[in-house]
Amino acid sequence: MASKKNNVLPGFNLTLGFTLAYLGIVVLIPLSTIFLKTFTLTWAEFWHAVMSPRTLAAYRLSFGASLAGALINSVFGFVVAWTLVRYEFPFKKLIDVMVDLPFALPTSVAGITLTAIYAQNGWLGRFLEPHGVKVAFAPLGVVVALTFVGLPFTVRTIQPVLEDLDVEYEEAAATLGAGRLQTFARVIMPALIPALLTGFALAFARALGEYGSVVFISGNMPMRTEVVPLLIMAKLEQFDYAGATAIAVVMLVVSFLLLLGVNILQRWSSQRLAA
Amino acid sequence: MSIELLNISKKFGDFVALDNINLKIETGELVALLGLSGSGKTTLLRIIAGLETPDHGEVRFHGEDTADVRVRERKVGFVFQHYALFRHMTVFENIAFGLRVLPRGSRPNEAEISRRVHELLKLVQLDFLHDRYPSQLSGGQRQRVALARTLAVEPKVLLLDEPFGALDAKVRQELRRWLRRLHDEIKITSVFVTHDQEEALELANRIVVMNQGRIEQIGSAEEVYHQPANAFVYNFLGNVNLFHGRIENGKVFIGDTAVEVDKTHAHVHSEDGKAVLYVRPHLLEIVTKSNGKQSFPATVKSINPAGPQVKVELVAAWGDLVQVEIDHERYQELKLAAGANVFLRPKEQKLFVYQI
Repeated sequence: MASKKNNVLPGFNLTLGFTLAYLGIVVLIPLSTIFLKTFTLTWAEFWHAVMSPRTLAAYRLSFGASLAGALINSVFGFVVAWTLVRYEFPFKKLIDVMVDLPFALPTSVAGITLTAIYAQNGWLGRFLEPHGVKVAFAPLGVVVALTFVGLPFTVRTIQPVLEDLDVEYEEAAATLGAGRLQTFARVIMPALIPALLTGFALAFARALGEYGSVVFISGNMPMRTEVVPLLIMAKLEQFDYAGATAIAVVMLVVSFLLLLGVNILQRWSSQRLAA
Repeated sequence: MSIELLNISKKFGDFVALDNINLKIETGELVALLGLSGSGKTTLLRIIAGLETPDHGEVRFHGEDTADVRVRERKVGFVFQHYALFRHMTVFENIAFGLRVLPRGSRPNEAEISRRVHELLKLVQLDFLHDRYPSQLSGGQRQRVALARTLAVEPKVLLLDEPFGALDAKVRQELRRWLRRLHDEIKITSVFVTHDQEEALELANRIVVMNQGRIEQIGSAEEVYHQPANAFVYNFLGNVNLFHGRIENGKVFIGDTAVEVDKTHAHVHSEDGKAVLYVRPHLLEIVTKSNGKQSFPATVKSINPAGPQVKVELVAAWGDLVQVEIDHERYQELKLAAGANVFLRPKEQKLFVYQI
């Protein structure tokens, strides 16, 4: 690898050392304390903390809503990226910037805004509620909030890949007799899959950790609209530190495994595209 | 299939890409669209393919208007300058693409697809690479895969956009000859775009010289090279020296020397004015003594004896730089050295003069 070659810029050892030290200080050491704290529990206490019905309900909501949000963002993020890359229209730059707003906006602001809109008397809520669609203070609200915070991730990962994907490929497919759907399915999608997977993984990971916006819109009802980060917060407020870290450990391990899986999938699919 | 272009015009914003183009390409011909970048040649090719729609005019395939025929139904093979091979597919799958997207009814079965793809791979001499991905191929190999992919759908017309533009000189030479042989074999109506006059002269049955959205000349390689229709064509097809002079009483003077001009090549009106004489480097002779007629004094500036011909750069008495190519024997005889004062004499009587 890099260390064996004579690179123009030396410093492999230095940069690798720095990388490890930096990751250690910023990521590994703080995370390891979670494990250390959890080890103060007995096995039974641990099991009780991470497998109680309330915790299980929170896992379901957190993972389910995050998955839904990431999937929604994969589809619509793709559409947004496609529109921004392929077409010229007035205020395009402005819309391009708006995509990043969920990055920058304090999530509590997003939560309050979304709650105001979807509440029973809100702009949208007042039309949805009579039809039996309850968004604010319901699991659907959690999905809405998590979709909001995840959008930039899918758009920003797909966009540069689409920009590289020359119109020539579509033209080539058309001259070879492919219809629009065939061109999309056989030429465009395969080229985008690695980026789609990355975007999905990022949006999913972001949604799993989201706290600020969900707190407001979900209503935080145990067993119904309580997400894992919130449950951890609740445990902390009751001074149940070990219980909180136990749940955190489960989240950490599951998230890590999921991200690893997506990463492997993404690596595998992009290998074939390597230029 | 024959292609007819009638009064084709195309604008991009204010830029006139094509201005009233008329061209007929016969069945089985290999035609070159030759021009500088921005001359409209690629736009014209894309209009034939249906990838671009003209503002005015008609494209007729076999006498029939194609305005309502969509790209995928035109049966036109288009080879892109940068190949546009599908990166996630192997060479085999790339070539099979056109067969796999056929409507279910006319789609050949797997065995037939495999047979056809391998046949094409043999045609382009790349059968041993069938399971590679495009990223693992060289430029020349990619180009041949792109061509095979296009031929798989049995197009009636083959269009190539700068087919050898991205390759190095040696590979370009080989592929050029190979394409010529291939065309002789399969006799498909072909149009290719190039900015390389050598490529056009060597490969095409007919050359269409384009400039600023218009056709300057249509003719065989011999015609456009030896009987250029105008100064642009002469200038474009190979190196050329420009001698600036004047016209007095219908006679052309370069410096103080009167030049005899072949009437068929002279674009000179009777009025007096400025004129430019065009002479190719190999059509000039270097002599040490003036014979009084048609010879121009000049000073040798530099000499490059590498290559089949000796390239001599001179400064004419009136200040223009002049390139001359002479053979090595002549060079030995003359014992030229930088700074030597000599005379230049056109070898041919047919001098190309253009009034400005």
